[in-house]
Amino acid sequence: MEFLSTKFGRLTVESDRIILFPDGLIGYESHRHWILLSEGNDDSVGWLQSLSDAGLAFLVVTPDRFIAGYELRIHRSQLLTLPWAPEDRSMTLAIVSDNRGKLTANLKAPLAVNVDRCLGRQVIASDDQPLRYELAYPSMPLRKSA
Amino acid sequence: MLVLSRHRDESIMIGDDVVVTIVDIRGDKVRLGIDAPTSIPVHRQEVYEAIQRENRQASQIDPSAAKNLKRS
Repeated sequence: MEFLSTKFGRLTVESDRIILFPDGLIGYESHRHWILLSEGNDDSVGWLQSLSDAGLAFLVVTPDRFIAGYELRIHRSQLLTLPWAPEDRSMTLAIVSDNRGKLTANLKAPLAVNVDRCLGRQVIASDDQPLRYELAYPSMPLRKSA
Repeated sequence: MLVLSRHRDESIMIGDDVVVTIVDIRGDKVRLGIDAPTSIPVHRQEVYEAIQRENRQASQIDPSAAKNLKRS
């Protein structure tokens, strides 16, 4: 299907790439269908575009690229409402927000995505994770003089 | 709002399957025990509201922000 996104223009959406968030996102409970768009060829940065609202898209990152040893800890009950087999591949994404020019990732409520079943949920971490984890910008590559 | 008085170890029921028990009372702090089906998420209100606010702020992000996160 064709979808016209406010941020990204015309998108062709394959139905088997649509991710269902049965409970929506927190504060966006009616937004159940989303699509994940890659940002260039970097697979650790992407956009989660709502298919219910052309203007709603979240910048998301895989936290483990930015935080060594990152691990998602949640109570089992957080995922019990989703069908989830132990062998299903999962992906954790953190939503990025701009706080006065500083980009921060929400590690308190990341997105758990079941890649095989195209299902997702915004979960609440059971350990003490920050709502705003400041992301370190890649530093400018140092040029070695020739 | 319905207001009920309860003593320690007394409970209230919400619907058929949510039980809230007063576990302990110390000064101005009350400890609650909550028994609810796993399909009903239970969170401190301020945590939930903070996440809501953070999502709302995140939705305002400019598309150009992604460039700052790319691998160099």
